[in-house]
Amino acid sequence: MNDTLTIAGRTFGSRLITGTGKYESFETMRDAVLASGCEMVTVAVRRIDFDARDEDLTTFLPDDVLLLPNTAGSETADEAVRVARLARAGGLPDWIKLEVIPDPRYLLPDPVETLRAAATLVEDGFTVLPYMLPDPVLARKLEEVGCATVMPLAAPIGSGRGLKLRDSIRIMIEQAEVPVVVDAGLGSPSHAAEAMEMGADAVLVNTAIAHADDPVAMARAFRLAVEAGRLGYEAGIMDEAETAQASSPVAGLVTQP
Amino acid sequence: MTTCTVNGRDHELERGETVARLLERLGLTGRYALVERNGEPVQRASYPEVELERGDTLIVARPVAGG
Repeated sequence: MNDTLTIAGRTFGSRLITGTGKYESFETMRDAVLASGCEMVTVAVRRIDFDARDEDLTTFLPDDVLLLPNTAGSETADEAVRVARLARAGGLPDWIKLEVIPDPRYLLPDPVETLRAAATLVEDGFTVLPYMLPDPVLARKLEEVGCATVMPLAAPIGSGRGLKLRDSIRIMIEQAEVPVVVDAGLGSPSHAAEAMEMGADAVLVNTAIAHADDPVAMARAFRLAVEAGRLGYEAGIMDEAETAQASSPVAGLVTQP
Repeated sequence: MTTCTVNGRDHELERGETVARLLERLGLTGRYALVERNGEPVQRASYPEVELERGDTLIVARPVAGG
C-alpha cells in the first residue's frame, strides 16, 4: 500500500503510532514496535531513580523510529512546557505529545491549559501534537496556534472502550486541516479500523497492544486493521440503506410460474 | 564541603565539576540524560562547559516507557 502520513512536513509510512508503556519487558516492547510497523513511538520523561537503575528504553528501539516525548504527569501548562523544554535540551526530538491532565480518575485533558501550553511551545519552536477531548472548536483553536496535529481521545486512556466519542471525532475529521490522530481508548483492532474508516489520519495505541495476551501478535493485528481501515476509507464506503437490497437478480427465477 | 542536590539527594562537588562530569560520576553515560539546573534546562551541547556551583538544585531525567 503506497500510502503515507505527513505531519509537520515529515512523512511516515505507517498510520499507526504506538506507546511504549505497560509492557512486561523492553524486549517484548521492541518486538511489538517492530511488528506494528510504526515509525513513531511515545515515551515519557521521568527523574532517574538512582536506587532502581534499570535499562535504557531507547536502546531497544530501532534508530529510524521517531521518539515522541510526552508531557504525561503535567497538570498545568507550565509543567508541560517545563517537561518539553527539558526533553529537547537533553537531545530528544523537538516534537512533543502535549498532555495536560489534572484529573486522575478519567485522565481527561484540561482544554484551557492545553491550548495555553500549545501556544507557548509552538512559539518556542516545537512541533506540538496535543492530546484533547474531541471538541471541534478547541481543535480549530489548537490549529490556529500552530499545532501539527489534533489528537482526540476515543475513550479514557487505557479503558479499551473504543470510539465512545465518535460523533465529535467525526466533526473534527470533517473540519480539521491538520492530521487527526485518534489517541487513547482504542481496545481492539476493529476500533482502530473503525477510526480509520471514518477518515482519521492515524491512531495512537498503547494499552491494547501491551496488555494483550500476545502483544507482538496484537501489534501486527493493529497494523493490519489500520491499513484495512485506511484502504476502506480511500476506496469509498457504500451508503447504508434502511432495507435489504438484493445482491442476486430478482428476475428470471428458476421457480417462477 | 561544597554540595548541590541531584534529584533531591546531596551530591558532593569536585572542584570545577561540570554537568558532563556529574553525569559521568553518576554513571549516566547512556544515550539520554536530561538535566535541569535551578529550574532551567541545560542544553546537551553545553554539558562539558557548565560548571556546577554550591547549592545548585539539579534534576536529572530520562525517557522512560510511556503512552
